[in-house]
Amino acid sequence: MKHLLAGAALALMSLTGGAATAEDYPERPIMMMVSYGAGGATDFQARIVTMTAGNEDALGMPIAIINKPGAGGRVGWNWLATQAEADGYTLGAYNIPHFIAQSIKGGVEYSADSFEPIANWGADPAVFVVGKDSPMNSMEDVVNYAKENPGKLTFSGAGLFVGHHIAALQLEKAAGVKMAYIPTKGGGAAAMKAVIAGDVMGGVNNLSDAFRAQEAGNVKILGVFDLERNEFLPDVPTLKEQGYDIDNASVNFRGVMVPKGTPQEVIDKLAASVPEMFKNSRVAGKMKAGGSPMHIMTREEVQAMWAARQETLQELLAGL
Amino acid sequence: MEFLYYFGDVFTPVSFGLLLLGTIGGLILGATPGLSPTMAVALLIPFTFHLAPVQGLILLGAAYTSTVAGGAVSAILLKIPGAPANIATTLDGHTMAKQGKGAQALQLSFLASAVGGVIGVLLLIFLTPVLAQWALAFGPSHLFWLAILGVTVIGSLDSASVVKGLLSGCIGLWLATIGFDDIMGAQRFIFHPALGGGINIIAALIGLFAIPQVLTMFAKGRNATNAEVIEVEKHSIMDAVREILRRPKALSIGTITGSVIGLIPGVGGQIAGLVAYDQTKKFSSEREKFGKGHSEGVIAAESANNAMVGPSLVPLLTLSIPGSPTAAVLLGGLLIHGIFPGTDLFDNHPDVAWTFINSMLIGQILMCIFGLYVAGLAARVAQVPQSVMAAVVLGLAVFGSYSVQSSMGDVYVMATLGVMMYFLERFGFSAAPLVLGLILGPIAEANFIQGSMIAGATDGMASYFLTGALNIVLIAIVIASIAYSVWMELRSRRYTSKEEIMA
Amino acid sequence: MNYVSLPRVQHIVASGFIAAVGMWVAWVSYTQQPAEAFLFPRLISTVFVVLAVWTFVKAILGWTKVGHGVSRRDFVWLLPGLIVALIYIFWAAKALGFYTAGTIAFFLLLSFYDPAPHGEAKTWIKRVIITAGFLAVMYGLFAMLLKVYTPREIFF
Repeated sequence: MKHLLAGAALALMSLTGGAATAEDYPERPIMMMVSYGAGGATDFQARIVTMTAGNEDALGMPIAIINKPGAGGRVGWNWLATQAEADGYTLGAYNIPHFIAQSIKGGVEYSADSFEPIANWGADPAVFVVGKDSPMNSMEDVVNYAKENPGKLTFSGAGLFVGHHIAALQLEKAAGVKMAYIPTKGGGAAAMKAVIAGDVMGGVNNLSDAFRAQEAGNVKILGVFDLERNEFLPDVPTLKEQGYDIDNASVNFRGVMVPKGTPQEVIDKLAASVPEMFKNSRVAGKMKAGGSPMHIMTREEVQAMWAARQETLQELLAGL
Repeated sequence: MEFLYYFGDVFTPVSFGLLLLGTIGGLILGATPGLSPTMAVALLIPFTFHLAPVQGLILLGAAYTSTVAGGAVSAILLKIPGAPANIATTLDGHTMAKQGKGAQALQLSFLASAVGGVIGVLLLIFLTPVLAQWALAFGPSHLFWLAILGVTVIGSLDSASVVKGLLSGCIGLWLATIGFDDIMGAQRFIFHPALGGGINIIAALIGLFAIPQVLTMFAKGRNATNAEVIEVEKHSIMDAVREILRRPKALSIGTITGSVIGLIPGVGGQIAGLVAYDQTKKFSSEREKFGKGHSEGVIAAESANNAMVGPSLVPLLTLSIPGSPTAAVLLGGLLIHGIFPGTDLFDNHPDVAWTFINSMLIGQILMCIFGLYVAGLAARVAQVPQSVMAAVVLGLAVFGSYSVQSSMGDVYVMATLGVMMYFLERFGFSAAPLVLGLILGPIAEANFIQGSMIAGATDGMASYFLTGALNIVLIAIVIASIAYSVWMELRSRRYTSKEEIMA
Repeated sequence: MNYVSLPRVQHIVASGFIAAVGMWVAWVSYTQQPAEAFLFPRLISTVFVVLAVWTFVKAILGWTKVGHGVSRRDFVWLLPGLIVALIYIFWAAKALGFYTAGTIAFFLLLSFYDPAPHGEAKTWIKRVIITAGFLAVMYGLFAMLLKVYTPREIFF
């Protein structure tokens, strides 16, 4: 109706009806909060996986992305936990382990209990990269250097208490060495720039970004912080294969959640339709083209993953 | 000369249509307060899903170029800088508009933008490999000194008193520390929940420039229209061209500063305009006219912020590192079509790469043509009665600051800073140095902390920050800049105090 | 302009306020933890306090050269507009919805500061038309073109 009108007459019209029921849901466009800036990996992927939301076989209503970046995601998640309306029209993108690690560290207004997971769309493992001219060619070289020069091996990552930092902590613990982790401001791109420019000796970065940088001939990838090798990098061994006891706790899982208090029927409806929406072939094609690994998980699987992560991270971060 | 070969692709009907669409749309979006070039490009990404890679990038490239220039429209007419790039444009541009020379200011800004922009893109075409090395040469210590260089400009920028200029800068630097600290994750000065995310720079810009403007109009009261009415002077485009040609110094300083600074990842676009403005002022023979509606101010600021467009894409296109938020969004636009910037782009998809770059070149010229056409019409805004103008600017400020990230907190921050700025202005402080502090604070801090962490792990602070050719050159420029300001201050002090009394 | 001497008291109050803010910033910076995160604020606040105190002392001694302060006439005219604007921004925009509150604020401010005679019907018709035009442009630009989801409570 609003298409017809422009002007003061609009002021007389009311759009909001009665309370929404689950059968009608969704009856207006939905918004999804992304706690990182436009153009970042999370934002980019969120826009792709939600692009078919308006189709009849998905939600039947488009999803609009709203960016609330700042402080490594804390700003957006604080907003989602405390200020967003739990009516099913406000979704949020999550990044594991980031928000769980931050809530363990404290100083934020959310924890894993503040949100209800809906579905997971992607898993981007952390990798260890060095510049293309670096003398280091395996994780063993890296660890040996760190053993000979304790605390002198500088390596970059996107901030504290994010996946990269968790991977760095795991590496130091598993190899029994002390290294100098340099958090950068400006996310993975800034951390990658520091590696390519030689400001630091190495770095932890996202697999998708590192893959691109390796294709461009700027870096070498020495190891993947995951349980298995990745399909994008079949030749790069995992840290575990190279003899370091490191699991997938630092893998950056991305997915959709809603604030606690959202009606159960709405959660059920979303939990049923959102994973199907992710399986759309157009979505898969665009994700693959962009070098973004997909990993679709249902609500139950995500709940189990969150609980497992909570436990590992609590242990890992206890000493900090 | 490879780029000439792909010029044909820009002129196919579909591509050219998209180029026109991107340019006109970009001008409109750029002129909307609160919509930075980054957001405008992000808004257009979904449209490119349905287009071929080349066409999608033509749309994005054209939009990027023209949003930067479009920002000048609201900066000149409403004193609302659309993005940090346009802050310097308000200083002389809006004063010109108030004197009835809005049409001239707009024409000059579009012509200067086109000149700067074309040269910037030509640099991108011919010097990309060299420039890429230069962009990478800036490590944390160099970026720190560069930010300090920006701070030295603060004192002399648009302020009658150096001490008050510096104090405004300090307030800006402090405001920038509010919120979660990005590296350590500590909370600083969050005395109201709206500040949790820190102070958003776009919302702050709108508040600091637009609100004092609105309040000043309120304070003038119920003016009889005849007392304030401004005749909009018609200004022919040829005169504007002649004016530009009479000011080669402003044009070249703007273009050079813009291209050089635009290249540096993470700093670029935001300060290019202000630094160019300040340098032009220092080198100008008519130094005292700046800030009072002087054409050189507009020319320098606008040629700088469009000159930065081309070079700012160098790190993205060659190294796959997005050097600015807008470049990050463009990266998304490339990835969505399965194109990886870097050697892959120029080796395997030269048609995409060169058509994109060519479209930015043509886009600059189209932008200038449309801009000049609009200038004559838009300048009439100055004739709008004050009561209407005040209410319109207030409304735009509220909607604009909200739309940045759909946050009510930003609107509160905008209003609070704005009201504060009105009173500060009445006591001799000014908004430009404050904003410069707000922009430079995070750059200086993050690079200082990162640099000191690297230095701590390697060869120590002194050698990390003070040795190396680039560090020494930057430190020398910083010292020269301070010395120059002190000298100018001492030299002019004798008679400014007398002038103040007569003023 | 004019030869009226600068409003010294106003300058003292204003620079005193800034100095107080500076002191507070310095106090917070030097007392809060973790120290690493407050390194930069400490640096800034030190310079801030020095400059602010300098300005304050100059104001007390009557040496301030720039800035004309706020005259009583200006303030009386400013106050109603400021109050409407603040109510609009800090309460009405969210409580009544952006478009409703924006329209009301626009109409009030326009009518108050418009020099045209209030007694004539023509004046009021003109004001209503301008307000409607403003609403239409805002709605078209932000809601339809840019799809910004503004708070909408009462109407649309």
